[in-house]
Amino acid sequence: MGKKENKYWRSLGQLNNSPEYRKQLLKEHRTENSDDPNKFSRRNFLSIMGASIALAGLAGCRRPVEKIVPYVRQPEEIIPGVPEYYATTMPLGNSAYGVVVESHEGRPTKIEGNPKHPSSHGATNLFMQAAILNLYDPDRSDSVRFKGDKKKIDDFQKFWKEQLEKFDKNKGEGLVVFSESFSSPTMERLKAEFHKKFPRATWVAYEPINDGNLLAAIKNLTGKSLRPNYYYDKADIIVSLDADFLQTESESLSAAQGFVAGRKISSSDDKMNRLYVVESGYSITGAMADHRMKLKSSEIGGLLWALIEQLKARGININVSKPEIKSDFNSQWLSALVDDLMEAQGKSLIIVGRNQPTIVHELALTVNNALNNLNKTVGFLEDKESILPQKLSMPKLSRADTMVILGGDPVYNTPVSYDFQKILASTKNTIHLSEYYDETSQLCGWHIPRAHFLESWGDARAVDGTLSVIQPLIAPLFNGVSDVEFMSLTNSGESKTGYELVRESWSKIIKGDFEKGWRLTLHDGILRGSASEFTKSNLNIKKYSKPRETLYNVDAATNIEIVFQPSLLYDGRFANNGWLQELPEPITKLVWDNAALISVKTAGKYNLENGDIIKLVISEIEMEIPAWVIPGIADNSIHLPLGYGRKKVGRIADNVGFNTYKLFGGPDKMFFSGAVTLTKTARKYKMANTQDHNRMEGRAIFREASLDEYKKNPEFAREMVEHPPLKSIYHDYDYSEGYQWGMVIDLNACIGCGVCTIACQSENNVPIVGKVQVGKGREMHWMRNDRYFRGDENNPEIVIMPVPCQQCENAPCEEVCPVAATSHDKEGLNTMTYNRCIGTRYCSNNCPYKVRRFNFFNYTKELPEVMKMLQNPYVTVRSRGVMEKCTFCLQRIVRSKRTAKHEGRKVHDGELLTACQQACPTDAIKFGNIIEPESTVARKKSTDRNYELLAELNIRPRNSYLARVRNINEKLKRDTYRNDGH
Amino acid sequence: MAQIFPKWINKFPILIVLAVVVFFCSVTGFVWYFFSPWYTDVGYQPVQPVEYSHKVHAGQLGIDCRYCHNYIEVSPHANIPPTQTCMNCHKIVKAESEKLQPVRDSWISGNPIEWIRIHKLPDYAYFDHSAHLEAGVGCFTCHGNVAGMERVTQVKPLSMSWCLDCHRNPVDYLRPIDEITNMGWKKPGDQTEFALKVINKKGINPPTTCSGCHR
Repeated sequence: MGKKENKYWRSLGQLNNSPEYRKQLLKEHRTENSDDPNKFSRRNFLSIMGASIALAGLAGCRRPVEKIVPYVRQPEEIIPGVPEYYATTMPLGNSAYGVVVESHEGRPTKIEGNPKHPSSHGATNLFMQAAILNLYDPDRSDSVRFKGDKKKIDDFQKFWKEQLEKFDKNKGEGLVVFSESFSSPTMERLKAEFHKKFPRATWVAYEPINDGNLLAAIKNLTGKSLRPNYYYDKADIIVSLDADFLQTESESLSAAQGFVAGRKISSSDDKMNRLYVVESGYSITGAMADHRMKLKSSEIGGLLWALIEQLKARGININVSKPEIKSDFNSQWLSALVDDLMEAQGKSLIIVGRNQPTIVHELALTVNNALNNLNKTVGFLEDKESILPQKLSMPKLSRADTMVILGGDPVYNTPVSYDFQKILASTKNTIHLSEYYDETSQLCGWHIPRAHFLESWGDARAVDGTLSVIQPLIAPLFNGVSDVEFMSLTNSGESKTGYELVRESWSKIIKGDFEKGWRLTLHDGILRGSASEFTKSNLNIKKYSKPRETLYNVDAATNIEIVFQPSLLYDGRFANNGWLQELPEPITKLVWDNAALISVKTAGKYNLENGDIIKLVISEIEMEIPAWVIPGIADNSIHLPLGYGRKKVGRIADNVGFNTYKLFGGPDKMFFSGAVTLTKTARKYKMANTQDHNRMEGRAIFREASLDEYKKNPEFAREMVEHPPLKSIYHDYDYSEGYQWGMVIDLNACIGCGVCTIACQSENNVPIVGKVQVGKGREMHWMRNDRYFRGDENNPEIVIMPVPCQQCENAPCEEVCPVAATSHDKEGLNTMTYNRCIGTRYCSNNCPYKVRRFNFFNYTKELPEVMKMLQNPYVTVRSRGVMEKCTFCLQRIVRSKRTAKHEGRKVHDGELLTACQQACPTDAIKFGNIIEPESTVARKKSTDRNYELLAELNIRPRNSYLARVRNINEKLKRDTYRNDGH
Repeated sequence: MAQIFPKWINKFPILIVLAVVVFFCSVTGFVWYFFSPWYTDVGYQPVQPVEYSHKVHAGQLGIDCRYCHNYIEVSPHANIPPTQTCMNCHKIVKAESEKLQPVRDSWISGNPIEWIRIHKLPDYAYFDHSAHLEAGVGCFTCHGNVAGMERVTQVKPLSMSWCLDCHRNPVDYLRPIDEITNMGWKKPGDQTEFALKVINKKGINPPTTCSGCHR
């Protein structure tokens, strides 16, 4: 055991070796009560049904008749058994993500990024991967309703025509459209039409999580509506102030790509960027930081001011007058940062999180300007055709006579102070277009089911201006109406198809031959050459004199502050998505719940343990929520993830977690301090957390070094473990021919976002199991992300490591299988034959990496019919009692090999991507033929940072890792990374 | 005292042993055959919704298999033709035939004809027609002489051991690509020589590990 602060640990329980932790350690698969408590027990069932099964058995011997149902008229392009790929676009707020969707005989099954699209570059984020599950969600609303009764869309149309007669006369007096934000040429066109037709009507856009503060700051300083575009790849020094730009900020996907591009090193001679993070919570951006400082969100403005003071002292010309603030921040840390910033002028980047007030954004822009970063690492793009979220004017809304709510769920996600319920109650006619018959729909008169983006025509503009079309892959499964169709209906009372509407807008967008341009755009997924010109010159940052707000400078460190943050469910719109609910949150590792996240010291102050329910009161509004301790969060800062605690959405979302919107102060006030009281209640709440699951105890698992240490000893990763020569008692199999598949995961590029897990789940038909089962350690993810803390419990570092099956050549699981259900193939894959497996679970016991998953129940049998359409037809759906694990996407390997063979060639390097690899935003995963010396994977494996997990066991894993390197500033002292076990 | 049992009773123990052996052998033999796909699956000949005769179409008229099963060289599935393919000819040929009523109904109503599946592999076995055709395995090898069947029947067991027979020894089963659909093709004298040449040229290496078919 090394020094305590030098160890890697997964939970406070492990660090302090608590009795609960030791108890959990003893049992890997807890088998107690294998019956689903909610159901008629299996044992009861067998005892009652035994006799009848015996009698019925004979009749069951008949061969079931299976039908083959061909097309009547076969569409020309469909070949049964060969998937098709279509480009479309996923809109999310003002962002647009280009995607390519795999479709099997007209049934979309998998979403991938579109390599041509600037917001995704072929990668995906969590929401893009998980969106396909929402398409088949059986809880989606399937009909028009009026006050709860099912109606037809014609009924609504009739009603609306009557209303329109009135509005045509009074120019839209009392008519309000309440929408989400969009960046869509067609929506913008329809909006303009709406305003033209109803000049007295109001249109408001609302998003609970938005960039309003940042955009306001840019507008204040430049006088224009511009959107920022950060060039992370061009920055040597990146300073993030409360900005989780790798996951929860806007455009995190391209940010992660840019950030990692400046960080990937292939040898010890390479340069890498340095990331400083100051944050109140613990985000994956904080985990990637080379230097991280925990600081309450309400003090971050103060810190930025202290930074400005230091920069001014070094002769940087920043024209701002000093407000009254405290500035007793860690001066050594600050001066080291300032040294770096001075050196990297024009190559640094300061970004501020969207939860910070406008003033902090303004200051940061000023600093970026003074450091000569504008037009180098920060660019601006003209904001065209966007419906941006606005500050709501509640009195205006409450005077409405008719309110049309376009998507969103304002009853759930607007601040309590807005009292949206009351506004709805006082409005005569309310109409809600929504995927679910949700909290808002149930209080509205009319509810119209909304189509999923994979079911509708539409268009979207990416942040850099690139235009793309949203094309449907399937007709609406639940009679949904798309946004553009509904808006057109609202304007005119006549229904037009989305196809007509979008083509109408695009007839003005596409230059030259329309049909040709249209088809090309649909094919590519983007309109070529539509990216905005980067507005380089004539950007004039106004002279900036005086802070208009002083929010940041009044806070005392001892005040409790509350910070709201988007969760894996974003703002709650993905709440009925089981994949996202069951994905362990990258830092907290909580599933199916949210909690008030607090630091170790805060927990000590209020005598709190994980799961203790606390009561938070802010100006007479109170809520109860369990506490969860995350080492490294700023003291006295309470983090409340949004999006949970839904009541009327669906089977997955309802009553999961706690609705933190109860305390929400609005999108421009994502945190506040003072006036918060915290009291502990006597009750506890049980949460499912995977942080202690699947341990590989006491070994050098995660290996990292500082850049200096790496330069001194490039072989550090391999030298961390010494072992005798590795000799096997079995004969070595000859793996020197054909394809020999292997994988490398670059821990320096991995940001720990968890997209690989969801991509794998989508590709491989991995079921969700629910909170209770996860609590028993029965989660089914083939690819997991292990999160380790390192160092002092009050300010630890975090590292995250993706662990799929390591595909050992000498696989320990294979030796113990009594029925040869798991065996090796010639290409070095450790394969599972599900139909042979009898469920002894010996293999899982013998697996040193704990990557095997067991089907304790028949998770897929009772899936609603519509969800069966989601399954990948080329992967077996497993049933109860069967072990499963990562196959390196065998179905993709087979498909690539077949294609190559048809074409009379070998599989090219880079042609075959596993699901996790394809989804990875930072290209951290490489896969290919390891015996071909020129393949990417072989070249990566031959680099000095390459190490195999638990290589000392002589199991020869085909997967290996590239050790992480942190670019440590030598002026900031830090413990070395030694080989000290975990 | 007279003997209670006659002398021939002495043979009983041997007879009992024999009877037990015969019994177990016959049970084994029974299960071996009657529980195997050779019995349960071979000969499956369901009545199809349309009395379609392969014998007439593929045999007498000599229509190539790939006229109807047209994606077989590019897709894992051997597609069943859409109604459209039937109507290509039957708009003109036998346009009034009573037997073709279901086909015309399907064409007019748009409801597909529901054929009954004959050759069926378990869901966990992934078979790829295109790969087998590519290698030069003929239709006949697995489906028998379909061109001679009035009503299609299964002639091979499609069991795993049957698959492996060929995968372990492909030499006997390969034929020239242009003979793939030929039902009357006979192995030439130099089959081994020919097959080895093809195997080398195309790099045919039929998988015998589980992952070849199960995933």
